[in-house]
Amino acid sequence: MSTHAGLEHAHATHAPPPPAGPRLRQAGWLKAAWWTPLSFGIATALVTGIRWSAHWNPVWDLDVLLVAWTVIVPLGFLHGLGAFDYWLYWISGRPTRLEDHSDHGANSWRDYFRVNTDHKVIGVQYVVTTIFFFLIAGLMAMFMRAELARPDSQFVDPNGFNGLTSVHATLMIFLFVVPVFAGLGNYVIPLMIGATDMAFPKLNALSYWLLPIAGLIIVASFLLPGGAFSAGWTNYAPLATQQPDSNLMFQMGVQWAGASSILTALNFLVTIITMRAPGMTFWRLPLLVWANFTTSTLVILATPFIAGSQFLLLMDRVMHTNFFEVAAGGYVVGYQHIFWFYSHPAVYIMLLPGFGIVSEVLSTFSRKPIFGYRLMALSLVAILILGFSVWAHHMFVSGMASWLRIPMMVTTLLIAVPTGIKVFSWLATLWEGKIHFKTPMLWALGFVSMFVIGGLSGIMLGSVPVDQHTSDTYFVVAHIHYVLFGGSVFTIFAGIYYWFPKMTGRMYSETLGKWHFWLTMVSFNVAFFAQHWVGLQGMPRRVADYDPVFADWNMLSSIGSFVLGASTLLFVYNMIVSWRTGEVAGSNPWRALTIEWLVSSPPSKFNFDDIPQVVGGPYEYGVPGARHAVLNGARVLTREEGHAASGVPH
Amino acid sequence: MRRKLIPLLVIMILSAGAAFALAFAIEWLPEQASVQGKRIDQVIWLTVVICVVVFAIVAAASVYAVVKFRAKPGDEEDGPPLHGHTGLEITWTAIPTALVTLIAVWSGIVVVQNDRLPEGSRVILVEARQFAWGFEYPELGGIRTGELFLPVNQPVELRMTSPDVIHAFWVPEWRQKQDVVPGITTFYRITPTKEGIFPIVCTELCGLGHSVMRNQVNVMSEEAFEGWLAEQRAGVDAGGTDLGLRVFANQGCAGCHALAEAGASGAGGPDLDSVLPGQSAEQIRESIMTPDATISEGFSSGFMPSYSQLPDEQVEALVGFLLGAAGGSSG
Repeated sequence: MSTHAGLEHAHATHAPPPPAGPRLRQAGWLKAAWWTPLSFGIATALVTGIRWSAHWNPVWDLDVLLVAWTVIVPLGFLHGLGAFDYWLYWISGRPTRLEDHSDHGANSWRDYFRVNTDHKVIGVQYVVTTIFFFLIAGLMAMFMRAELARPDSQFVDPNGFNGLTSVHATLMIFLFVVPVFAGLGNYVIPLMIGATDMAFPKLNALSYWLLPIAGLIIVASFLLPGGAFSAGWTNYAPLATQQPDSNLMFQMGVQWAGASSILTALNFLVTIITMRAPGMTFWRLPLLVWANFTTSTLVILATPFIAGSQFLLLMDRVMHTNFFEVAAGGYVVGYQHIFWFYSHPAVYIMLLPGFGIVSEVLSTFSRKPIFGYRLMALSLVAILILGFSVWAHHMFVSGMASWLRIPMMVTTLLIAVPTGIKVFSWLATLWEGKIHFKTPMLWALGFVSMFVIGGLSGIMLGSVPVDQHTSDTYFVVAHIHYVLFGGSVFTIFAGIYYWFPKMTGRMYSETLGKWHFWLTMVSFNVAFFAQHWVGLQGMPRRVADYDPVFADWNMLSSIGSFVLGASTLLFVYNMIVSWRTGEVAGSNPWRALTIEWLVSSPPSKFNFDDIPQVVGGPYEYGVPGARHAVLNGARVLTREEGHAASGVPH
Repeated sequence: MRRKLIPLLVIMILSAGAAFALAFAIEWLPEQASVQGKRIDQVIWLTVVICVVVFAIVAAASVYAVVKFRAKPGDEEDGPPLHGHTGLEITWTAIPTALVTLIAVWSGIVVVQNDRLPEGSRVILVEARQFAWGFEYPELGGIRTGELFLPVNQPVELRMTSPDVIHAFWVPEWRQKQDVVPGITTFYRITPTKEGIFPIVCTELCGLGHSVMRNQVNVMSEEAFEGWLAEQRAGVDAGGTDLGLRVFANQGCAGCHALAEAGASGAGGPDLDSVLPGQSAEQIRESIMTPDATISEGFSSGFMPSYSQLPDEQVEALVGFLLGAAGGSSG
């Protein structure tokens, strides 16, 4: 397990042992290609065999089969790929393969398509995979907006529409926003804290490979009889239990995505706690690391709850339990409590890493230290703690115990305080700075302005009486898109543009990046701002058809969303072309101070020749002579010495 | 510092002005037509004012910073190393805390007031089912209607249940909203203050017909309401109302279907006045028991739930009534 010990000998690599046995038995795509159908056969035989011998009818029961397939086939596929090899060898007492680092790093594009233990390769795998699902889910949004452009039904029937809504949200949340941050964090956290890799590289590789599996299960639900699951991404009982079999694909897809999320969070926590370079105290951690530290705590504590909520639904359907079966005394509001105990913290899982990215970007491009660094870190912790006490604000009109609305409202409104601290501190970071308007900075500034709108509409929704009017209307649709698109997605773009030179060694096109930003900024507001009004006026969410009085504003929303979709193509084009032919970036194009910029772009296979020595805070812009970290034992002035030497007042 | 403050204040006032203009020049909310809605609107406007002020401060600070502190071309210098300011940090922790406390206290008071059941409230039982609303007036001996009729300025408590999935009852003009949850009874307390016809909207995703699960409430003067009540009572007392018509009303068919004979004008499903003529009793029975067997053009399957749980007597009465209605309209 320990990589630290192994890395000491990183460069004394042994030649990989000659492959044993025929190629069909070597871990890889070929082995996966026969293990996948084999495990499909095993699952099918298991279910039908048991049912046949027990005289259960029907023998071919799609419900049970789907559960068996979505559990066993992914395991077979992963085994073929070799994701479990190390552990299986160890368990079975066979000699484990010598750690020769042959599964580490990327020498060609092929290395991105195998079980790779390099955090940098895994980071890129995550980001590219999640953007793929972002594009698919975005395309679904285009279909929905095309249907909603005019009232009445045009080209998707209500079942198709509800399916699109549900899969769009599910992919965006579980296959894009949550994991893309895991990808960016994977790439930069070890570099930022001066570690050579993550604490558990094999677990890290496994947690990536769980993700495409979750995505495929969710998308495959479109192929099942009755169409994709269509009870919304919230999958409320009892509508969920009334649905066709494809609802199981949501219930099982979420398990794989959730497992992936938990494993990564565990890895982040252990890495951040135990693998910081000498001198890297918690109060010297870049805010991105603080943000991922708090996020990972949220993930580990909260994710089991959504797993549980979906397992209860699954048991109701497949094993005929009665958790949410009203006729047998089930309690349907109970589902919502369990679901939101994860899904509200999930909002912070999707925001805190973005807060971290924005702190890095704003500080670098204003050439100033983050204002109020410690309060910025503490406010993340405050959000983490408060975040667990607000879940029922999604249920103000649900018929839950009515007294619960008041404490939940108070905690919800209080979260505005640490969030406000962050916004004001970002603005103070800009103050008197020397602002450079590079693409990442535009996204970070765009984020602050859009997120403020989403945050303020969140305060309105947090008040019970206001929520009684606005709950489940387009006002909420506007709110979540200002928070998750204007918020999270803007920070994701800021992060990708910011670290693109580090990841690829090349610069992206600044012109295209700016076009992408401005087109997105304008079309995003065209698409979503009027939805506040439409919602307040009386248009409910998740409808395939609506009152014709809202027709014009819906048309405007649709036009905005099509431009928004087109602007994303600029981004994809920019990334692909720049990766191949962009200008060479150099190690530190932004003149930033954190450790990832001290090493080459892209960094060498094991990040550092020598473990860096951390000597000061991460944002010492403007402090003469001050450094955050040094490599190779170089001597530098500390912050205090720097102040003393230059006479700059502290 | 003063040289910075004055332009900053000017931008702040300008952006606050623009935001207030946006907030107050546009009709953001529909007409307000209930006692409870009036209280809710007060909270909405309180939060709007606070939000607009906060927005103006943030907008002004960012616009000023972006314009004023942009690096000149070729300027590679760093900004001054300002690491924080304790006074400022306390200020922007304390003021938002005070503001959200104000919102919380005011909202709490409104919640308590709106939850209170006024003396002499009329009770109406509401059943939400996929995808129709049914309203039952206990003082009418259990007669159900497909549309809600209420007297103005009289408090009413809706006791709501659902036999299938979760729905939500919302009248935008009344502001209040409440989920209708299978297995429990939820309450919706309202005192309408304006006469008129207002939409009832289901806001909780309840299946294929969710977007057409709309209905309306008729708020009328007290005299008109008493007249309507008397009319209904007369029908019940005389036992005169056709059982088929009653089933049609009780089951909420009018929520989706238009039928002149029953005074129904639902638009979610096929217009019965045009699809019924020419149908045999057998075909009509099939459409009630297994609706997906034959689908009218322009509509999709899975929409209409089966009514096979109805007693045979009621199904036959309904078929008979629909046959008569079809005959009447076609000739």
